[in-house]
Amino acid sequence: MTILDERPRRANEAFRWLSVGSATIVLLLLGLIAVVMTAGAVPVFRHMGLQFFVSRRWSVAGDVYGALPFMWGTLYTSIIALAISVPVSLGVALFITQVAAPWMKRPLVYLVDLLAVVPSVVFGLWGILMVAPYLGRSFLTTGLILAMMITPIITSLSREVIETTPSSEMEAAYALGATRWEMICGSIWPHSKGGLVGAVMLGLGRAMGETIAAALTIGSAIGQITLDPLKPGNSMPAVIANQWGEAYDLQKSALVALAVVLFGITVLVNLIATAIVQRSITRTRGK
Amino acid sequence: MNESLLFFGALAALAIFLSCDKKQDSTSGAVQNKAAESTLLTGGKVTLNGSGSSFQTPFQQAAIEAFQQSHPNITLNYAGGGSGRGRQQLADEVVDFAGTDAAYHAEDLAKVKGGTILYFPLLLGPITISYNLQGVPGLRLSPDTIAKIFQREIKKWNGPAIVADNPGVKLPATDIVVARRADGSGTTENFSNYLVAAAPGTWKLKSGATIEWPHDTMAGPGNGGVAQIVKSTSGAVGYVDLSDAKAAGLTFAAVKNSTGAYVQPTAESASVAGDGIEVQPNLVFSAINASGAASYPITYQTWVIVYAKQTDPTKGAAIKGYLKYLLTDGQKLLPGLDYAPLPQGLDGKALAQLDEIQR
Amino acid sequence: MIPVDSPAQQAEQRATPLDDFRPRSRARAAKNALATATFAATVVVLAVPLALVLWSVVERGAHVALERFPAFFTHEIPIVSRRSGPGMGPAILGTLLVTGGATLISVPLGILGAVYLNEYGSASRFARLVRFMAMVMTGVPSIVMGLFVYMVWTIRFGFSAFGGALALACLMLPVVIGSTEQMLKLVPETLREAAYALGATKSRVVVSVVLRAALPGTVSGSLLAVARAAGETAPLLFAVGASSSYNSDFLQGANTALPMQIFGNATSVFVGAQDRAWGAALTLVLLAFLVTLAARLFTARFATSGSR
Repeated sequence: MTILDERPRRANEAFRWLSVGSATIVLLLLGLIAVVMTAGAVPVFRHMGLQFFVSRRWSVAGDVYGALPFMWGTLYTSIIALAISVPVSLGVALFITQVAAPWMKRPLVYLVDLLAVVPSVVFGLWGILMVAPYLGRSFLTTGLILAMMITPIITSLSREVIETTPSSEMEAAYALGATRWEMICGSIWPHSKGGLVGAVMLGLGRAMGETIAAALTIGSAIGQITLDPLKPGNSMPAVIANQWGEAYDLQKSALVALAVVLFGITVLVNLIATAIVQRSITRTRGK
Repeated sequence: MNESLLFFGALAALAIFLSCDKKQDSTSGAVQNKAAESTLLTGGKVTLNGSGSSFQTPFQQAAIEAFQQSHPNITLNYAGGGSGRGRQQLADEVVDFAGTDAAYHAEDLAKVKGGTILYFPLLLGPITISYNLQGVPGLRLSPDTIAKIFQREIKKWNGPAIVADNPGVKLPATDIVVARRADGSGTTENFSNYLVAAAPGTWKLKSGATIEWPHDTMAGPGNGGVAQIVKSTSGAVGYVDLSDAKAAGLTFAAVKNSTGAYVQPTAESASVAGDGIEVQPNLVFSAINASGAASYPITYQTWVIVYAKQTDPTKGAAIKGYLKYLLTDGQKLLPGLDYAPLPQGLDGKALAQLDEIQR
Repeated sequence: MIPVDSPAQQAEQRATPLDDFRPRSRARAAKNALATATFAATVVVLAVPLALVLWSVVERGAHVALERFPAFFTHEIPIVSRRSGPGMGPAILGTLLVTGGATLISVPLGILGAVYLNEYGSASRFARLVRFMAMVMTGVPSIVMGLFVYMVWTIRFGFSAFGGALALACLMLPVVIGSTEQMLKLVPETLREAAYALGATKSRVVVSVVLRAALPGTVSGSLLAVARAAGETAPLLFAVGASSSYNSDFLQGANTALPMQIFGNATSVFVGAQDRAWGAALTLVLLAFLVTLAARLFTARFATSGSR
């Protein structure tokens, strides 16, 4: 009897340790990333101090590294991307959930998914060869390409949030004689606006972290801080991708510091966004 | 409790792993054929990786193609990426050889890990000032005008300095779009060296592999990247090596040299520039702003750099074989690619330097 | 707020029969129609750029991809980049190696990690921490992963397909954990209880009952992660190096991949190189599309309890 008990129990224990080990690896990995990146960023912070965040200059020969133009580029292109993408995403989400006939819903969802399947480097290729000749390599072109990439995310999340609106509220509005638009304003919007904000923030996080499409279309300018969207600029991930290959120590450290800043900002945005979206969905589902 | 134990145990293991030092030499060739100098042709497979100057990339590509046909067991990869990258990757021993249009700067020499570096010159070539301007086929530019354009002091094509260089030519009021290098570039370094030498009162941005360009200039990777901006943007101007500019079908300007003559960038005018160069014992020299009535003033040069001390005999033999090819039969490829060959005597000195590669 | 009709509008309503439910005032009807039209327009706005991109990829990529078929998929990449003509074989092999390697590393790890989170750890502090960290990791920009792998792996071991696979695995792992955990949650508790009642050990229950029930959703989620990883460029930039010839050695030697070739050729001035970039883009889009399609088919055919 005991021998028959041993084998399954050892397998049981082994399996348990295996799964614990895997979970541990996740923690280790993230911890390692944080430690390695922060350690790599220390030299440039020691050299530049807080000037790193406010200096506009980036000079390898002069050992001056300022992140401000890159942070501006990341911010500005993301704002342009959101300005284009949010109305479109919300409109599509509302169309799919409220207007579309049942037979239309599945193909429309596939259409949005198709946009999500295209890799970002292909968008970048299209942007640099087909869009840039007209709009130049600029904040605008990059914002446009980013908008195409974040629309699927915002759309599908918005759809999910909108669909949690209790049908009782929607039907009540119709019963009172509301038009569809009035129902959307009166029932869906107050209920969903929190979740929609979260969805938009997740799109923002994705836009800020996008490297390759930005590296190709933004123009790689130095020190450009301007509101003119047709001027070339630069962004944090783009400058890292472009300069890493030839960087010696202090420049490498400066690029790692940019990565750390980018990491921090995108993680923060994603966390806030996920919390908002989760709260909005679970609140009504009552899980 | 169990989970935390596992976590810290794994952390300790990771710490040990990370404190492991850099990679040891690891090539399939070394394992198979340690005593293999003379078996360059028949020995085991060798892969050589190189990166660096985009100026010599067309030459490297043509040479690799030809060399691999006669030496099928040797694989060569030349990744380009700019002289800055080549020097940095060779210093870090990430590549076996590198291409560079300029020598190591003093402060970077200290970071070189593998000892003495040997410079093997390959060729000369012009940096063209390529532009995209409808209806203006034959632009002429003087050094001061070039400096002002690239510093963004002149913002339109019909600016007075450009008009002064081109009497009788109708210049449009198009905006100038300046295209330059995004990467650490030997072409940039030589171009800015030229402006420091030829337009000292006008050019303010100094010289280097990367310089602090004005804000609204567009950047591309490699000579090809700058060429792409010029080709696709109306009103653009950029500095591109002749080989890439001609292959891309760009229009380029005649530049005023030190004797006052406006000279077109060609292999011939580059050769004339190479005639009077002063070569240092380590084969480093500069052809920028050379004298001579027919010389193109923005002519520059490029080297393959390798370590004198090769740790892997098979790779060392392969490198010697490839360099020998570049300096002998490979030179026949140059005219077809719009480069100028090395001036007489220099290829002989370079071949002699091959013996300094020890394995 | 539901707008209330003005007295004049109410009078108008009383005067007309109530056997249809159309909105009464023209202003409200107009607003509604405008809104509906706007929503429909946004669908068009979404579809048009997508169509333009796909059209460019197909139109410009098909030419070189079909030239002397199947040369594009088998020949080596032309060493002389200004030459026109096909050859992306090494990049296709590289993508398969790197993505395949990343899948082999991240999917088993991810599934096991999700198993821990849902079956063993559930609400323990450690499990909550892991779950939180996995969620944090999904938001890490891919360039950060690329830098990380360079600083930890490439400077010690040089360029290799394995380095690229590691970088992609780091990206895929949190996604696989998240989607697998969702699938495991959907497996009804009664299934587990029945297995226990039959005398199975916990590991037996998890492997033979729970995982099997969650398999279609897990496979689907993993395939979606694979499709995303196949298109990533930034993590590979600093781990894989560059090569124009075939390198089937997974552990050693520089390699290349489709996204890297697209990125490199996108800035080339030579039309031949640009065409090869389009061809590689076509191949990559087809690959991602096929993998995503497979994922959807899995969900559709085998979905039992709970869909989205």
